[in-house]
Amino acid sequence: MNTKVLEIINEIRAAKGLAPIESVNNETKLREDLAFTSFDLAELTVKIEDEFDIDIFEDGLVSTIGEIYAKLA
Amino acid sequence: MVFLYDNETYSYDDLLHAISGSGTYFPLYRTKELFPFFANMIKALAASMPLTLIDADINASEIDGVEESDINAEQAFEPKIYQSMDEVVAALQQSRSEITIFTSGTTGQPKKVVHSISTLTRNVRLGEKYAGQIWAYAYNPTHMAGLQVFFQAFENQNTLVNVFGKQRDEVYRQITDKQITHISATPTFYRLLLPFEKPYESVIRVTLGGEKSDQHLYDAIGQIFPKAKINNVYASTEAGSLFAAKGDCFQIPEDIRDKFKVVDDELLIHKSLLGSSESFKFTDDFYHSGDLIEWVDKEKGLFRFKSRKNELINVGGYKVNPGEVENAIMAIEGVRQALVYGKANSILGNVLCADVQLEEGFALTELDIKKHLSTQLQDFKIPRRIKFVEEMTLTRTGKLKRS
Repeated sequence: MNTKVLEIINEIRAAKGLAPIESVNNETKLREDLAFTSFDLAELTVKIEDEFDIDIFEDGLVSTIGEIYAKLA
Repeated sequence: MVFLYDNETYSYDDLLHAISGSGTYFPLYRTKELFPFFANMIKALAASMPLTLIDADINASEIDGVEESDINAEQAFEPKIYQSMDEVVAALQQSRSEITIFTSGTTGQPKKVVHSISTLTRNVRLGEKYAGQIWAYAYNPTHMAGLQVFFQAFENQNTLVNVFGKQRDEVYRQITDKQITHISATPTFYRLLLPFEKPYESVIRVTLGGEKSDQHLYDAIGQIFPKAKINNVYASTEAGSLFAAKGDCFQIPEDIRDKFKVVDDELLIHKSLLGSSESFKFTDDFYHSGDLIEWVDKEKGLFRFKSRKNELINVGGYKVNPGEVENAIMAIEGVRQALVYGKANSILGNVLCADVQLEEGFALTELDIKKHLSTQLQDFKIPRRIKFVEEMTLTRTGKLKRS
């Protein structure tokens, strides 16, 4: 699961011309640390939904990687 | 003279025999076979009997006001004897039939529209220079575009070759075997024929209609059919064919120019040009076509289509025209077909997504396409999820299906 999420994050970063990141932890902030815009977050949701069938933003905002993991767990 | 090549070959004599002296027909005929379908249609029209055209795969429950028991129920009428096809054509041109057709239902339940022979054949060209043409029949015969092609070919007693829904190899084989001269089809149909392998010189006229096309496709068609003039046609279930094509623009004929208005970029059509339907809503006798256009030369009635009104996708407050994005994707080398759509999303309302079908021998990644698009389009117009698909789903009328 964690590898897949990291893979998706790096796909999104690559399209923006950003270097891949090697790892994330529970505290990694989506906007601040990963430089994600709302469009990036939307892509992240769609791709996570494709993979895990869960809409991570369905019931409110998610701001860290840890909160994503919690939804997927 | 051959009338139709399908699984079997039918001559105009076969057609005459099927019609002349027959005193029964099907007012509501559901069949997958083209010859009996056309024979029944011509028989009804020549005798001025009412006719309802329904898809071969439709159930009565899918359309309003049609009972399953009405379908394929024979009805008697006063038989007519015809000595020649010329007589049949003349009778058809004078027909007083009410012809009911249905929209393809891409935006909900199929809607019923009643036409007369004059709205259906308004743009048929007749005369010696139209004789001897061999048409690839690439449309569903129960819908407007298929009817337009059919009447053009039939009234000139041309030959039809059925290629609707056929595979690429089969289409090319028919073009060669039957020496097809005319093709009228959707851009989706022509994209099936890509990539260019060799020229087919028998084809002298290529017509595109029903969807937006793009320069990449025109260029490819120009290679595949080097002898062909390429033009566009605009036909709707509501109005039939209305405009003449001028390059990538359309021109409103001068004599009906006062029958059109443009409000908020949307083309409005006067009701005198339409068939009749309870589903039509008019503002001061003008019908909202849902087609968004831009004037190229308003004085001359010259315009270009931009998109369908209800197709715009709202992405985080930005309005995206999927046709524009599709064109940009299809301009990338190796892409055969693209479909852009919105997927409901809790952050943006919609996320822009694309299904992409590649040409054989090409390997593109999602990142390749995004990188390409970023040089052409604003960020919000770039699809955030790109799926590579083997096949695209088509509607009954052979257009790309928007879910």
